[in-house]
Amino acid sequence: MRGKPALKNPQHPRKTNIRQRECLFTKSGFLYVDYKQVDVLKKFINDQGKILPRRVTGTSAKFQRQLTDAVKRARHLGLLPFVAENFR
Amino acid sequence: MAQTYYELTYIVNPVLEEDQLKATVDKFNTFLSDNGALIDEVQQWGMRSLAYPIKKKSSGYYVNAYFTAPGAIIVKLERQLEIDDNVLRYLTIKYDNKMLQYREQQKKGVVQVLRERTEEDKK
Repeated sequence: MRGKPALKNPQHPRKTNIRQRECLFTKSGFLYVDYKQVDVLKKFINDQGKILPRRVTGTSAKFQRQLTDAVKRARHLGLLPFVAENFR
Repeated sequence: MAQTYYELTYIVNPVLEEDQLKATVDKFNTFLSDNGALIDEVQQWGMRSLAYPIKKKSSGYYVNAYFTAPGAIIVKLERQLEIDDNVLRYLTIKYDNKMLQYREQQKKGVVQVLRERTEEDKK
């Protein structure tokens, strides 16, 4: 169960760095990405507090949409930072 | 009127005395029941530190409520929350079918756990 290859050109210099990954939410049987599960959301943001793109995490489009909403809700409620403390 | 399932989270000013905190929470609970909402559950998460300062406060008292209500009261509720100086932030969410299923699971005590990446994934 792998998605479509990230790059078709085998000579592309970035090809070796790109890993095909499966969606962790689908695999774990998530029904809904909850903004209250902060520890889950934290795995999908970088150390600056930015949401990681799908091409890095391999999250399915469906869950990426839910994830971005969840992260934004958590930020609004002060559960997650907009910009991490040490980068401000 | 159509009844919808809602979730409300709000943050109360942490500087308040304990009885004032309780009064604020009670105020919104009674507001909900007086306006035809059926409160399902109210969870008080208690004091938590905020990820960034809100209204110059670095921590807050979180309250999380679930209720069924006609949609018309949400506007009134949010107006009340906006007016109350002791509420730092609030968030109301309307639940759809998938979220309701999730909520049912949650009530039964099932917790969604994210699977760790296995070695196979890393190859």
